[in-house]
Amino acid sequence: MITIASYNIKGGVGKTATAVNLSYLTACSGANALLWDLDPQGAASFYFRIKPHVKGGLRDLFRRKNRLQRAIKATDFRRLDLVPADFSYRNMDLKLEESRKPGAQLRKLVKPLRRQYRYLFLDCPPSISLTSENIFAAADVLLVPVIPTTLSLRTLEQLQEFCKKKKYRHLRIVPFLSMVDHRKKLHCDIVDQPPKSLKKMLTTSIPYASDVEQMGLKRAPLETYAHSSKAAQAYRDLWEELQGRLGS
Amino acid sequence: MPTESRYLLENKDSPVRWRERLVDELGLVADPAESYRLACCDSFDWRLNHAGRQLNWLQYPGYSLLRLVRLEDDTTEAELELGTVDTRFAAGLPASELRDIIEPLLDIRAFLPLVTLKIRSHCLRLEDDEGKTRTRLYVESISRLTEEGGAGVMIKRLRLQPLRGYEKSALAIGRKLEKKYHLQADAGSLCEQALAAAGRQPGDYSSKLNIQLQADMRADAAVRRVMLELYHTMQVNEQGTIEDLDSEFLHDFRVAVRRTRSALTELKGVFPPATHERFKREFAWLGSVTTTLRDLDVYLLKFNRYKAMLPQDLRDGLEPLRDLLRDKQHIEQTQHLAVQLQGARYRRLKQQWLRYLESPLAKRPVASDAARPIGEVARRRTWRMYKRVMREGRAITDESPAVELHELRKSCKKLRYLMEFFQCLYRPKAIRALIQELKQLQENLGDYQDLDVQIASIEHFAEEMKERGMYDDVTAQAMRALLAGLHTQMDDVRAHFHERFERFSLKETRSLFRELFRPEPASATR
Repeated sequence: MITIASYNIKGGVGKTATAVNLSYLTACSGANALLWDLDPQGAASFYFRIKPHVKGGLRDLFRRKNRLQRAIKATDFRRLDLVPADFSYRNMDLKLEESRKPGAQLRKLVKPLRRQYRYLFLDCPPSISLTSENIFAAADVLLVPVIPTTLSLRTLEQLQEFCKKKKYRHLRIVPFLSMVDHRKKLHCDIVDQPPKSLKKMLTTSIPYASDVEQMGLKRAPLETYAHSSKAAQAYRDLWEELQGRLGS
Repeated sequence: MPTESRYLLENKDSPVRWRERLVDELGLVADPAESYRLACCDSFDWRLNHAGRQLNWLQYPGYSLLRLVRLEDDTTEAELELGTVDTRFAAGLPASELRDIIEPLLDIRAFLPLVTLKIRSHCLRLEDDEGKTRTRLYVESISRLTEEGGAGVMIKRLRLQPLRGYEKSALAIGRKLEKKYHLQADAGSLCEQALAAAGRQPGDYSSKLNIQLQADMRADAAVRRVMLELYHTMQVNEQGTIEDLDSEFLHDFRVAVRRTRSALTELKGVFPPATHERFKREFAWLGSVTTTLRDLDVYLLKFNRYKAMLPQDLRDGLEPLRDLLRDKQHIEQTQHLAVQLQGARYRRLKQQWLRYLESPLAKRPVASDAARPIGEVARRRTWRMYKRVMREGRAITDESPAVELHELRKSCKKLRYLMEFFQCLYRPKAIRALIQELKQLQENLGDYQDLDVQIASIEHFAEEMKERGMYDDVTAQAMRALLAGLHTQMDDVRAHFHERFERFSLKETRSLFRELFRPEPASATR
């Protein structure tokens, strides 16, 4: 099982759209995929029309065996399942701190899923906290959507420094440009001359598009209602490039 | 994976009428209807079924998948999306849990669609207030596909598919179906039903002999029953042999031919002399037609073992040999064997043989053993063959040429067939033990003979590869290493012969043979 976390310290950069669309494309390509909506806001659950509720909440999830297995819900799409968000996830840092090995709890929790799914996507909440450290320990790939703006690039640098300092050797940080608006000069400049922090980024970028925003209205992955759009094509290219990167 | 429930629809209402009713009365949402195919697969000799499993090949518009079902509780054990993969062999499937389970079960046998169903399916969904599907209910009409086309609607059914995390919704729908429409969940297997309609039944084929006879039956009647069974084995393996579905069709076909030939020779006192001569000649011809292809099949089946015998850096050098073998195998299969098995000589042989086997028994038979009880004839002939095996075996020394071991091997085979044809006439435990002992000896002799033939053939193939320009330095080195390895193996097998034969000659085995087969003094002289 390959665990891909869609993560950024900053909010509103397209993490959920990335996790939802890529997990859908993964399932379409024939692999079993699970998406875990870790964000208490529950946007990914909303896109899949699944109620953001886990029986027993965070408490049971960490205490009871098999609780995560039982929280899994089938989406309306073949081979794609979801663990919904729960409002109690907002207390995840506190819950993790109570445990004996606070940094490795999430990894331990997802371990039994290895045989069932080829890909696990984590839709992460924006922040850098103990939850994030758990995500870094559990994930193989940290897929980081970056808007081509100064603040967004700064958070990427912060993340890279943090991971370097904490020595997450197994973790591959893979940034890519998201919500690129070609009408904006700053965006164009960064796309043309990416800074050092974007050295290992994917060459595919996701355009800023109203089709992506429509996901909230349609409550479905982009591919299902706007297959021919530029943004849908961009996500397909992104997935292909990422797979190539994973294979290399 | 949650388990589906199925409900048979026995009234006359059409699937469309059912769909409308369920939409109206249960508040379900209907999707457009689609058709798919379901092929129930297993090896020809039911290896998956014997292991409590069933392999379904589902072909939907745009994709197809293999689903392995546990028969015990009807649950899905593993699934595999096929994509562009087109194979009949487990080894050809992509690495997956499903392959890991079925590959050791099927071994060299192909999985074949034993029956194919065409299913017209109307999907109905139960949606919640978020517009999320909580369960799916399919109204399906199922027909069996035959070679001539469709065979009419076999059954209509509802299939209730729970979704992971929403099992309660499916349970609620199931309860409504039972209460409102008085439907009962059906535990019967669709594949089993379809197989029955197609005239097949799980376990209906086995290459092992199991013929029911009574010791006081007339020998000619008993032998004909054995021969009919062998004829049937040939018949059912014929098409698979012609189409080359897997190597075991030909193998079983050949074994049946060899058993028939052996019975014709060893029980010749049961047949009228002219009949015996004619069929002996014709079955010898049929056996010879299949030999070359079987040899090539064996080399190909053993190829990976050949490779494993070589040092790592020489292994790829053996690939040209595989290419040559495949080439020859294809030519032999399509241009010779398939032609002969569809030809007039074979057709005539079958017709005449069957006519003879089904003809009434002669009231006063000319053949000396025909009217005697089979118990007596079988004992006498088996005892005679056993004595020959012992005589030939004892005469073999370390210096004996390969041909003597080959003769002994042939005698062992004849003895084995005689024991197996009439095994129901003896104490089951005793006959099984003796067959087991004989089998061990046969394995040693078989390995020796096979290696002898293989060495000669591979030397011959090397010459052929040189002529065809398939013989570079690496290949030459690999072929030499292979031959050296085979020679070593052969010496090894030979070194074990005496140990095996001594085991077979132990006092307990000898006295058991005597007890089971030594004829009464009166008939021993015949």
